[in-house]
Amino acid sequence: MNQKKIGGTKRKVQNVIAMAVLIVIFITYMFPFLMVLINSLKQKRDIIKSPFSWLFTIKGLSFDNFVNAFNQMDFLNAFKNSLIVTVSATVLVTILGTMLAYYIVRHNNKISKITFALMVASMIIPFQAIMIPLVSIYGGTLNILNHRITLIFMHTGFSMAMSVFMFHGFIKGNVPIALEEAAYIDGCTHIQTFFKIVFPLLKPTISTMVILNAMSFWNDFLLPSLVLTDKKLLTLPLSTYSFYGTYSADYGTIMAGLLLCVIPIMILYVALQKQIIGGVVAGAVK
Amino acid sequence: MKSKNKGKDFGIFALPGMFCFFAVVIIPFIYGVYLTFTDWDGVAEVKNFIGLANFQKVIEDHEFWTSMLLTFKYVILVVLLVNIIAFAIAYLLTRGFKGQNFFRAGFFTPNLIGGIVLGYIWQFVFSRVFVNIGESTGWSLFEASWLSDPNKAFAAMVLVSVWQLSGYMILIYVAGFMGLSEDVMEAASIDGASGWLKMRKIVLPLMMSSITICLFLTLSRAFMVYDVNLSLTAGGPYGTTEMAAMHVYEKAFTSRQFGAGQAEALILFIVVACISGLQVYLTKKQEVEA
Amino acid sequence: MKRKMAAKVIAAGLVVAMTAVGLSGCTFGFASDPDDPNEVEEEIPIDMSVDSFQYDSSLNGTSITLLNSKAEIQVALEEMGKVFEEKSGVHVEVMPVTDGESPYTKVVSLYNSGTPPTLSILDTTDVIALAEEKGEDLSGENWTAEAEDYLTKVNGKVYSFPLCIEGRGIIYNKAAIEEALGEEFDPSSIKTREDFTEILEELVAAGVEKPISVAKEDWSLGAHLLQYIYETYDGTSAGAQEIIEEIKDGSLDLESYDRMTGFLDTFDVLKKYNVAKADPLGADYDEMAIDLADGKTVFWVNGNWAWPNLEEAGAEKEDEYGFLPFFMSDDETDFANQMIQGSPSKQIMMDGQMASEEEKAAAREFLNWIVYSEIGQQMLVNTCNLIPPFQNNPYEPADPLSRDIYEKVQRGEAFNASAIVPNDHWSVLGAAMQKYLAGRSDREELIGSIEDYWAEQE
Repeated sequence: MNQKKIGGTKRKVQNVIAMAVLIVIFITYMFPFLMVLINSLKQKRDIIKSPFSWLFTIKGLSFDNFVNAFNQMDFLNAFKNSLIVTVSATVLVTILGTMLAYYIVRHNNKISKITFALMVASMIIPFQAIMIPLVSIYGGTLNILNHRITLIFMHTGFSMAMSVFMFHGFIKGNVPIALEEAAYIDGCTHIQTFFKIVFPLLKPTISTMVILNAMSFWNDFLLPSLVLTDKKLLTLPLSTYSFYGTYSADYGTIMAGLLLCVIPIMILYVALQKQIIGGVVAGAVK
Repeated sequence: MKSKNKGKDFGIFALPGMFCFFAVVIIPFIYGVYLTFTDWDGVAEVKNFIGLANFQKVIEDHEFWTSMLLTFKYVILVVLLVNIIAFAIAYLLTRGFKGQNFFRAGFFTPNLIGGIVLGYIWQFVFSRVFVNIGESTGWSLFEASWLSDPNKAFAAMVLVSVWQLSGYMILIYVAGFMGLSEDVMEAASIDGASGWLKMRKIVLPLMMSSITICLFLTLSRAFMVYDVNLSLTAGGPYGTTEMAAMHVYEKAFTSRQFGAGQAEALILFIVVACISGLQVYLTKKQEVEA
Repeated sequence: MKRKMAAKVIAAGLVVAMTAVGLSGCTFGFASDPDDPNEVEEEIPIDMSVDSFQYDSSLNGTSITLLNSKAEIQVALEEMGKVFEEKSGVHVEVMPVTDGESPYTKVVSLYNSGTPPTLSILDTTDVIALAEEKGEDLSGENWTAEAEDYLTKVNGKVYSFPLCIEGRGIIYNKAAIEEALGEEFDPSSIKTREDFTEILEELVAAGVEKPISVAKEDWSLGAHLLQYIYETYDGTSAGAQEIIEEIKDGSLDLESYDRMTGFLDTFDVLKKYNVAKADPLGADYDEMAIDLADGKTVFWVNGNWAWPNLEEAGAEKEDEYGFLPFFMSDDETDFANQMIQGSPSKQIMMDGQMASEEEKAAAREFLNWIVYSEIGQQMLVNTCNLIPPFQNNPYEPADPLSRDIYEKVQRGEAFNASAIVPNDHWSVLGAAMQKYLAGRSDREELIGSIEDYWAEQE
């Protein structure tokens, strides 16, 4: 408490204002999410006629939507599929991405330069532009669609550019080459040096990228819908397809299904957030 | 690293990652570029080489250029708003507030929901929730659905994109701020009178690398906007909010001019590449070596 | 400190609430029946006792895929596939096309990936675009004789199976009209646009301020409504084609074409009495169903596929809903004012390129089963809730909208004219119609966009 006084009243006032601003913006940010939460517990008619009314004023409040969403999605199976795909692709892209980024930073040769430039440029290729060529190569020519491993491979490839880009920036700025040289003198191989010295230093960026990548794999709809058609392999977002009709949407079930999809990734975020902060604090204290 | 290890290093460190990337992104892209010189419609068995005829069609496609213009307008608004808001919020969230972790999680939630679904939720909010609020309060702002007026629908597109993208950028800016040393942060925040000056002279230059990344990401994402465009406005009302990426998709699949659509995608790509290349070049120059 | 506590409590609360919601969802999920709200309630059980269909036992174990672009019958089709598998041993995997991707895109990407569906439910324009390149010639199938009027031919050959008849017009809620007017409502007494305007006036006087719902969706405006100008030329597909050719080559002046002006005059009436007049493009499809079922409105410009929405909104199968034609003039003798549009909008195409002979045989059997087996016939009508185009199917649709169309077809009060328009017709001209509906363009501009659209087509 004493520490706080150093800043004085002025800072306190500043803080209160900043806090108030934050809370207001925060509520705005959470508003649609709140709408989802409230309406996921209502019947369709109430959702359409009075979407804004609070829970207690609505008669037909129930968990039915969740029951229906859970059953129609074949939740446990879809959850398992999503988990396998997301975890494998995230691990793969993290390891391969950090290694490639490390190579590019430490080897300033032509291949590095060209690869890096291509990666940055590729981040602005519209997915629609490669969608048809992609399926015609992997489906028509190689005929390896409809396997989880193909999807994992594609997720890895598509997120590689962004990940390498982020890791590249961090390694360049925050990983001193002196540490590695010391390791080589101690007789470590390149691989050992990388995993023992460099990789742990990347922890904050890795946590961030794990979250960003895992989330995009978890939520992705278009790519899995092109790769997977076998019902047993469907991921969570694919399993909610039937809630969207041609003429109208089944709002209640959609919202319940959405929450069911989001909760696992929310938990991951909350868990990893400590890691991110932990990593940074450890780096600062040293 | 020693020279005799070069080949081995390349094989172990670079090759696997490069393989994934090239196999999934570059090769299909090149194949796609090749298709723009053919009359392939996406279905036929035979592909005839027709030279630049598809590009000729693109030049004649007025709607494409209209949508490009609209996209430019949209990109400028979104890039500015997203980065200002995200920077400010990230700054507030790294001042050592109690409960800032909770806030960070909250601001990130838009990213937890995929693009298409997110557009549907907002469509629901704009067309049902807001109208409902308008009915019960009489506020003229919410009297009619925003999505039925061209200007308001465009505003809705910008608003939702800002809402969605800023969460992502907050995360990167927060990481950037946390990479700054405590002293810099203290220096920048303690003195209210010269705080703004210090922000500009000290914090901003040190944050340039984060700003480069965020500008680049918002630029490219805003240019490529598709999911939200499709599910929020579907280009409506009467085609007034159809952005470039959506037009490309419609051209290729709804109008069934696959080659012309693919060519438009290529042109869009070149435009975005030039603009973001210029942006990275300009902001990189401002960066100070950490 | 308090702040921190508060934040923590909120955070914890949020997480707990969400997990609780998730968990109770799970437990409930296990405890309750897998009752499905999307599923059409099977009030009429399927009678499985009689089945004279000859199954080909050599097909046992074959697996075929069926791409479904009619989302509202997804569950019903799965059900149908299951029953067919029990009987024949052929597995039918029903693949859905989701909102946000077009059936055509899906089929094209599946062809490119080398795994096209054996059977695909598609719109007529998609069938025509794909038929000769990919489709299997079905001209020799027996069922072609049962649905002669509803076949789509490409250069004289049949490549598709008409799945159902869909009809559209102006839906009325009889009880609501009678309650408002206090007198018997006889739909056959409304014979012209004038009569229609009259009853609208009466309804307004009786307190139903805005009696009509008009959908703002581009597929509704651009395909279902605007296409009346082609389809009512003489009520046949050939006539529709003829008039389109005339518009294309510029030999027809749309401004003075009577179907164009007639259509717009009626559309103006719809606009005037539209429940969403203040914000026509803010109209919500689900709300329109609720309004009609509640009697807040009494008319809805739509087709028989609206029934699931109406039922969900509280309408009962015994309620009297039905169709008025989309009036095109004030002339009582005009066929467009006497008959309703009913045509086969969804077709099943069979893959003729990649499918093996065995898969084709199994797919043929499935189609024959729908037409000829007692169970298939029942399931098409009662489980999928479709109007069968096959004259040998003795079952009648159970919901009032489909039944009304069905009866009109039987009585010869329906015309079948399918205008074959390019695939982007509905979206391009749907947008032009939206602009007109919102009052942001006049007739001249709308007609101009129609002419421009056709001038661009090759």
